[in-house]
Amino acid sequence: MYGNTELITVSSPHFHDGSSGQRIMLDVIIALLPAAIAGVVIFGMKALLLIVVCVATAIVSESLFDVIVRKKNTVKDLSAIVTGLLLAMNLGVDVALWEAVVGTVFAIVFVKCIFGGLGKNFANPAITGRVFMIIAFGSVTTFTNPSCVDLVSGATPLAELAQGAMDRLPSIGQMLLGLHGGTIGETCIVALAAGWIYMSVRKVIKWYVPLSFIATVFVLFLVFTGSPVYAFYEILSGGLFLGAIFMATDYVTTPITVSGKVVFCICAGVITFIIRKFCALPEGVSFSILIMNILTPYVEKLTHNVPLGGTGNGK
Amino acid sequence: MLFKKKISAVHVPHCKSTQDMHSVRIAPPESVTIPMSMHSGVPAVPVVAAGDHVFIGQLIAKEGEGRVSSPIHASVSGTVTAVSDKSVSIKSDGKMEKDPSLKAPKLETLDDFLDGCRRSGIVGLGGAAYPLHGKWEAVRKNRIETVLINGAECEPYCTADNRTMVENADDIRKGISILQKFVGAKEYVIGIEANKPEAIAHLTEYFKDDSSVIVKTLESVYPQGAKQVLLWNATGKVVAAGQRLASLGVIITNVTTLAKMAQYFETGMPLVDKCVSVDGSAVKEPKNVVAPIGTSFRELIEFCGGFKCEPGRVIEGGPMMGRAIASLDEPVVKATNGLVAMSREDSVVVEPTACLHCGKCVEACPLNLNPVAYSKALDIEDEDKREAILRKEDVPQCMECGCCAYVCPAHRPLVENNRKAKKFLRGRKK
Repeated sequence: MYGNTELITVSSPHFHDGSSGQRIMLDVIIALLPAAIAGVVIFGMKALLLIVVCVATAIVSESLFDVIVRKKNTVKDLSAIVTGLLLAMNLGVDVALWEAVVGTVFAIVFVKCIFGGLGKNFANPAITGRVFMIIAFGSVTTFTNPSCVDLVSGATPLAELAQGAMDRLPSIGQMLLGLHGGTIGETCIVALAAGWIYMSVRKVIKWYVPLSFIATVFVLFLVFTGSPVYAFYEILSGGLFLGAIFMATDYVTTPITVSGKVVFCICAGVITFIIRKFCALPEGVSFSILIMNILTPYVEKLTHNVPLGGTGNGK
Repeated sequence: MLFKKKISAVHVPHCKSTQDMHSVRIAPPESVTIPMSMHSGVPAVPVVAAGDHVFIGQLIAKEGEGRVSSPIHASVSGTVTAVSDKSVSIKSDGKMEKDPSLKAPKLETLDDFLDGCRRSGIVGLGGAAYPLHGKWEAVRKNRIETVLINGAECEPYCTADNRTMVENADDIRKGISILQKFVGAKEYVIGIEANKPEAIAHLTEYFKDDSSVIVKTLESVYPQGAKQVLLWNATGKVVAAGQRLASLGVIITNVTTLAKMAQYFETGMPLVDKCVSVDGSAVKEPKNVVAPIGTSFRELIEFCGGFKCEPGRVIEGGPMMGRAIASLDEPVVKATNGLVAMSREDSVVVEPTACLHCGKCVEACPLNLNPVAYSKALDIEDEDKREAILRKEDVPQCMECGCCAYVCPAHRPLVENNRKAKKFLRGRKK
């Protein structure tokens, strides 16, 4: 006869949809893989080495931090791997390995762990790591062209656009496949879009959140230049897809409501446009996301849900 | 207002394997233990003493003094063995003899109707267990346009309301006739989730000649049967915090409550038994069991062939809002509608991980609340600040439906925290 052991008395609900934070992170990694593989194909084995070094550094630095602060090891939540992978994909292939190591340690330890770990950081670790490296080492934003293509110059499409050198731009086909200068993971639009679709289907993100970022940039450039082709090149380059799909959708550092996430992305799109158009920097995705990370609490205040039948004071 | 046209909901597995099983009456239990607090409001006060002989339907506890209460009646015939202010125990004589003095109560005026509701001992059987007369008292002061009859039954496993609709449509009709006479609402909407086709077909056919009764098919999503959700989906109205539903011209009543009410006015037999869906991965032969109130859960399980494996969580009610019981010796109460025994494997408690701030709880909340904010607020040391945030974020509106915790990838105890937050606010009021 069963039923003589103690019953488990826990709070309702007693059902769960089976999701887990770890599974979500795994989905993000799976979604990043096509673009990471494309990066290795386009930029060669040096890209793979850089990815391996960043991921390994992320795992080791998070583990060491946990040991030092006597915390349970948190590597198995997979978020460190996501950060390492994302950061590597945000670097040019010629970045020195030691610089990548320093950048990753900065991202993991100083952006995430010291704020209390996953869920407590206010800025996206990979983005902040990259911005740190841009400031600390000049090499991050110097790109070499992939060896497999023969382009006129070593400048990125964005730099060419900024100079108005439309004739030196790669073809649209090259842009979609990622056969041009840029960071390891940002160039292959087709592979990034595959990750976008995968994460939307797996309900990790809402498909329209990255779209609102990309569309804002497109519309602003279209209105400003009147050239759909120009606007199209703008959205296909400079890591906009990588940032919009994978970093502007980071749960921790973006607003909690869906409307807030869309507002976040539209604002980030506007800032990207302003930086690209009016500032000395040719690209603005990283900075715009970082700025919006900081503004997230305000966006949340603006986009607070009105409870059904509630007082609505929260707004 | 910014709320969405479509209320958020989650898709939970229905698990309604007992849906087509005709209800069966349990063999007379050897004894019953009837709690004095089976309803919301003040506990009832026993009027019998140990050694007294009682019949089924005989009053054993009168209404407690205070805001609202409900009388309690013997559910088996036999001898009272123990009486305390918490419960009354009766040893059954096995005869299940009804009180011979029971007869249909007078039902001519609104006062008769309300008095009958009071004497019937019936409470809201959908889960809230609010005494019946307390609800209908509102017709004195409010003009009721619509009576919403809740047959949504959105909790997984629970099919007792479905059985009422399929087996006791006659009682539902009689109940509506009574309401038509004393409440005088224009329309009577029976809301049923689409996953109960038999009940929908049966009642649609049953009421096809009565234009004031509308059988409304609702989407099978959780928590379709919640007051605010049903109200919005069936009428498009919203009841604000602190507002009485009746002031909107609407009263919601559970379909089984209505049927029990009709039975009382027909026979004079108060609420003494309840149909309970006994199911779950640890139950050998799931059944819809009609059991006298006070029957132990152990007897219900034994009546269903016992456990087929070691149970982990045994839940009174459904798995979304039900309470995990500590002991199988606890009794069936008036509002018990399900008993779900989950196997050990299905009962594993997953360790919570860090909140990812993903917003899935916010997205899932049918009332557009912000569960993650409540959990965060509970960590604030300054009690005034904590109170201010919790009030601002409308935590008292939370109905503990469980959608937030159901979807939380970090397995945070969100419902538990919401309960703590609500309790904290209640404590601050004093």
